[in-house]
Amino acid sequence: MNTTAAKRPTLSRESMYQIIRSPVVTEKATMLTEKHQVVFRVAIDASKPEIKAAVEGLFSVNVTAVNTVVQKGKTKRVRGRPGRRSDVKKAYVTLKEGQTIDLTTGLS
Amino acid sequence: MQVTETQSEGLKRAYTVVVPAAEIESRRAARLDDLRKTLRIPGFRPGKVPPTLVRQRYGSAVAAEVLEQSVSEATQQMMTERNLRPALQPKVDLVSSETAADAAAAADLEFKVEMEVLPDITVPDLKSISLTRLKAEAGDEAIDRALQELARRQRTLEDVTEDRGAAEGDVVTIDYEGKVDDVAFPGGTGTGLDVEIGGSGFIPGFAEQLVGIRPEESRTLNVTFPEDYGEATLAGKPASFAVTARRLRRGVVPAVDESFAEKLGFESFAEVRGLIAQQIQREYDQLARLKVKRALLDALAERADFTAPEGLVEAEFAQIWGRISAERASGQGDSEDAGKDDETLRAEYRAIADRRVRLGLLLAEIGRSSGVTVQQEELLRAMRAEAGRYPGQETKVMEFFRSNPQAVESLRGPIYEDKVVDYVLELADVTDRTVTPEELARSDDEGAETAAAAAPAPAAGEGDAPAA
Repeated sequence: MNTTAAKRPTLSRESMYQIIRSPVVTEKATMLTEKHQVVFRVAIDASKPEIKAAVEGLFSVNVTAVNTVVQKGKTKRVRGRPGRRSDVKKAYVTLKEGQTIDLTTGLS
Repeated sequence: MQVTETQSEGLKRAYTVVVPAAEIESRRAARLDDLRKTLRIPGFRPGKVPPTLVRQRYGSAVAAEVLEQSVSEATQQMMTERNLRPALQPKVDLVSSETAADAAAAADLEFKVEMEVLPDITVPDLKSISLTRLKAEAGDEAIDRALQELARRQRTLEDVTEDRGAAEGDVVTIDYEGKVDDVAFPGGTGTGLDVEIGGSGFIPGFAEQLVGIRPEESRTLNVTFPEDYGEATLAGKPASFAVTARRLRRGVVPAVDESFAEKLGFESFAEVRGLIAQQIQREYDQLARLKVKRALLDALAERADFTAPEGLVEAEFAQIWGRISAERASGQGDSEDAGKDDETLRAEYRAIADRRVRLGLLLAEIGRSSGVTVQQEELLRAMRAEAGRYPGQETKVMEFFRSNPQAVESLRGPIYEDKVVDYVLELADVTDRTVTPEELARSDDEGAETAAAAAPAPAAGEGDAPAA
């Protein structure tokens, strides 16, 4: 079956910005740049193909793989009442060999 | 580092300094690396932050810091290399603009330094200064006079037993009722007031009209309140006082002898005498020192024939002028200056400022070359002396000094000056001459005449001593 539409979602520039929330700047993320991987926080409902399209569209790179993880929000108590932080979806994006994204300059 | 001299005129110097970009860059990297070791950023363990991230976040701040440091260090280095001693803080102008700091990674740092150097001060031959130090001994006469004065203040009152009227030196106790225009005024009536005949403190003519009054005698006194009387409604008004004398006493001055000493709480009369002699001697010595110091400073000022840095003179002059203007504005200017216009005044005070600066520099130089320093304990002693001037608040004053290092520094100047003066006095040709106390006091007045023109000058080192 042909699911080209699902595999290659056409996204408006606006929705790309809504998918890619922010880069993750940590020791782990820094180490992964050696394996030409980049880490982003993404929208909780974003799918891997969408993330791929968004990264390719925003940073003009080729994405070979996307791995995602949903980090569950912690249960916190405020004045004894239980509350919950929202979940966060992170995406580990593998780029084509030799490509990088300079996160320090930010998006133009 | 590359230094080019662009101006060398009199005491003014100007330089252009270029620090190569590589030097700046390496310092910046070193500073960032330093920072990286202790930096805490969320997501990283301390010391594990990648250099690129540190540079991105703190680059510009570090750049500004390094820039400032480089400039001050380069200036410092230039000055030690060229053996320059600036009179004031050098003026530094960056040629490459501030904003370049960010992008200046590749650009050389270039800045201009402008300053005034201290003139080459050759310490004059101090041995060639000849001074006369006056010395006065506390003579018996002066001591006796002081003792009499002391005794007079200790007098006791005794009722006059013989039948006579009040005479000079007597104290009359009166009841009185004062009226202005036949109306009693508030505070004009009272009983049991002690009036000393021939004493002061009353309306002029009041005590005089009581001469000859006997106990239980009544008189009416007509007096006029002085124009400058404290109570405005009464000032300048004639008034009449109905006075009745109640008691007549005379002051008895105790004899100056052993029992007098005992009454004052001393062991023996000789002790009192000794103390007074000491006190008088101290006064004479202080006066003598003041005079010899003034003479010394005058002599030094003559020998200080170098040009003073304009900036310093300007600052000193501004300070004097500010004070003079304030005084004149409040209407208590020097009467001597009254007739002169601004122009002459300015010239006059500028000359004074020039003299002060030169004297201050010379004193500082003498102190420097002879290794005069102000010790911590000397400062402490001065602080205590200062605190002693406010009885009951000593701890507060000391507290003030502890929390204000600048205030302590302001004490340093006079001490330093004093020590330098001591040092010079040791070297200079000083002849001692013993004079009578009167002569010591009188010649001071004469001296005041000549010193008037240069009056502030002896204070020269006091406030400034700039290079100290």
